[in-house]
Amino acid sequence: MRNPLADVPVPLLDDLIDDEYVRSLVVGVVGTLGVLGLLGLLFPGSVAGDLAGIVFSTGTAASTARLAAPIVLAGLGGIFAEKSGVINIGLEGLLIISAFASVYIASVIGIGNAVLGVPAIWIGFLAGIVASTLLAGVFGVVCIEFKADQIIAGLAVWLIALGLAPFMSTVFFGGVNTPNLGASVGWRYSAVMVLVATVASWWTLNRTAFGKHLQASGENPKALDTVGVSVSRVRYAGVLLSGVLSGVGGSALALSIGQFVGSGETMVQGKGFIAIVAYLFGNYNPLGTLGAGVLFAGLDATQIRLQQLGYAIPDTLVQTIPYVVVIVVLALVGRTRIPAAAGDHYETEE
Amino acid sequence: MNPAVHLDGITKRFPGVVANDDVDLAIERGSVHALLGENGAGKTTLMNVLYGLYRPTEGTVVVDGEPRSFASPRDAIDAGIGMIHQHFMLVDPMTVWENVVLGNEPRTWGGLRVDEEAAREAVVELSERYGFDVDPDATIADVSVGEQQRVEILKALYRGAEVLIMDEPTAVLTPQEVEELYGVFEELTDQGKTIIFISHKLGEALSAADEITVLRNGVNVGTVASGDVTREELAEMMVGREVLMEPATTPQEPGDRVLGVTDLRVEDDRGVEAVSGISFELRAGEVLGIAGVDGNGQSQLVEAITGMRKPTSGSIEYLGESMAGATRREHIDRGMAFVPEDRHEKGLVMSYDLVQNGILGSQHDPPFASGGRIDWNASTEHAESVIEAYDVRPPNPDADAESFSGGNQQKFIVGREFERNPDLVVATHPTRGVDIGSTEFLHERLLELRAEGKAILLVSSKLDEVQGLSDRLAVIHEGEFSGVVDPATVTEEEIGLLMAGETLADETVSGAAIHDSVDDGLGGGGADGGDGGAGSDRETAADGGVDA
Repeated sequence: MRNPLADVPVPLLDDLIDDEYVRSLVVGVVGTLGVLGLLGLLFPGSVAGDLAGIVFSTGTAASTARLAAPIVLAGLGGIFAEKSGVINIGLEGLLIISAFASVYIASVIGIGNAVLGVPAIWIGFLAGIVASTLLAGVFGVVCIEFKADQIIAGLAVWLIALGLAPFMSTVFFGGVNTPNLGASVGWRYSAVMVLVATVASWWTLNRTAFGKHLQASGENPKALDTVGVSVSRVRYAGVLLSGVLSGVGGSALALSIGQFVGSGETMVQGKGFIAIVAYLFGNYNPLGTLGAGVLFAGLDATQIRLQQLGYAIPDTLVQTIPYVVVIVVLALVGRTRIPAAAGDHYETEE
Repeated sequence: MNPAVHLDGITKRFPGVVANDDVDLAIERGSVHALLGENGAGKTTLMNVLYGLYRPTEGTVVVDGEPRSFASPRDAIDAGIGMIHQHFMLVDPMTVWENVVLGNEPRTWGGLRVDEEAAREAVVELSERYGFDVDPDATIADVSVGEQQRVEILKALYRGAEVLIMDEPTAVLTPQEVEELYGVFEELTDQGKTIIFISHKLGEALSAADEITVLRNGVNVGTVASGDVTREELAEMMVGREVLMEPATTPQEPGDRVLGVTDLRVEDDRGVEAVSGISFELRAGEVLGIAGVDGNGQSQLVEAITGMRKPTSGSIEYLGESMAGATRREHIDRGMAFVPEDRHEKGLVMSYDLVQNGILGSQHDPPFASGGRIDWNASTEHAESVIEAYDVRPPNPDADAESFSGGNQQKFIVGREFERNPDLVVATHPTRGVDIGSTEFLHERLLELRAEGKAILLVSSKLDEVQGLSDRLAVIHEGEFSGVVDPATVTEEEIGLLMAGETLADETVSGAAIHDSVDDGLGGGGADGGDGGAGSDRETAADGGVDA
């Protein structure tokens, strides 16, 4: 079945997105929001009005940006890794380690202090990126150099971070949750970082030579090797970029509150896994991933606020709204295609 | 003037194997040079040395009068050598121009952007110069195999290749595409490019090359001009002894009836009737050949007989018993051997080694199984004996099936099935992709089975094969036998008529029409023992892995 959203005419969109699937996704999300906004304006007192009020409030926008940052950024990172042929399901671990490292380093330097004129909180932010990139580097060596199973290595990254971050927190701060720094990075910064990263990723993947190499590396690494480009170098770059981007996401998540919460699933709460769904949902297109990430985060934010309105619906049912919407959208837009050589090891001849 | 390429005393040793032994080879600029040899003669190894994939153990590569030492293909590319592999190195979801410039993208904006316009222009300019018809914006997955090959050639030309090495370039092409490729060869050599192509097909070397060098067991047997040599002489150079282009069959009185097929009707996967009322009987010690253009119901007929497809009506009687409702396993247990037409889909499990593949179909039976356990020692011995008897190279039972070249996979399947001690052998294209020396051996073995009193049903699109081996030859057309003839007396024209659905009494069909139908159906028939009808021999991705 051809999906109905692919045929909706939207000027300009066709030039930007040649992928029918992603186009549908964007049209679907924007269209739904538009209809909701219109209904809200026309019938302010109805359920649609309440919903529109929530969706278009600054509070919701702020929490959407806060929740979307780790999902979209880790998702973008996941695209780079997977396009190169290395499936990185350890994004969750990268988010956790960067969330902790950013708070830890910021608190070591001390809020109010600065290094080389850079405030402690931004040094912390950078430290989060470095930590995540280092862990991604280890993952890369294990997968590319030693040809470990990517899924198992990815799970290991998650488990290591899940154990290490709360443990270090206990060692340094006496509890799995760090004390609050008393300072935070505003949600507008997160929003800008998400947008910049999305556009930059799109450009890199679609317009640069490196982007072509990434695609070739994930689709037919031998083709790349025979024209004299090192497949493992391209794959390392893909994996390290997944570390950098996830690091930005993890730091943004923790520093937007100013604290690392290490109890249970930690404050990351599966956002690294949702990021995987987001980029698959977005068919490896950064714009689609942004759309999917914002959709997830927005529904989550809406759902939280909807519970506070006190409709006579059980909260648990309200909590399922994001997932129900995801299934509906998925059914409308069809399915994705993963790179042909993703998950396969590559060995050059002789 | 220096030759374009001069290989001077190249020796390449692998642990335990000498793949190339002191090979000298000089290739003139602007010529087409065929490198001919059987599977495993060292052709591909030699070319990998020239392309920098392997370093020679001894000897030097001289390009354009200058001795070179290539550490990687990159160096060879820089020296103007391009290689077009048998399995194309293209990225399916990318466009033609993206593939052509991959790794050497023209860039603008300080390297931050691929200069698409320049890249597209370069591709268009190159394809116009050499008369290629390719759309730079087409996606590789959407274009034909012939076009993909031209994209590969463009890739090499874009990198400044003066010498193009092509590994088995016709293996994946249709006859029409082969003709186009020969045209491309001419266009390229006219403009001073040099072409070396690897082949094990005599006809191809004779029609496309200016000079032919024959390799045998890693040694250069000789270089000849293609005008000065006959098929028979080339075959002898390749194999090292005189080759019987026609198998010698002796008259033999057939024994009891083994297979009786009565008014058989079979549908294909789409529910269309593919076999429309075929009846025949096959007796012990007899070879019944079935000739016909591919897709006239041969596959469905064979599948019905071997128990892989349920006939819609009619009966199949085997050794005096009806086979109606018998499972595939019962067919095997009752002594029916089967060489399938698609070796990847039905003949082998690609990710299994030869030991495992060797017991497929016999995995329940002694000596390979006892009490639900598989006896791996007996299985390994069996695989080794098949490998030795059927000359499967490299002789390594522990290697996965997918690492063998197509011809060697085929030899292993045929060996496994022939050594099952069957009463009936159903063989479909048994020598597809197999080189001429081994083809000769398989034919001899088939005739030995016949002498032992086995019944053999042979389906092949190689006319010389079915004609030379069969006691009776049935020609199939649109699911029916258009005639059953004596292969010793029938002419090629008559078979061509039958394949086109005519009857032999009808003399009104013109000679041209006869030849058309023969060409369509049989491709290069003749003595091209290394390969069969070019149209049907589409090698697939796992072929050609080992050719050392």
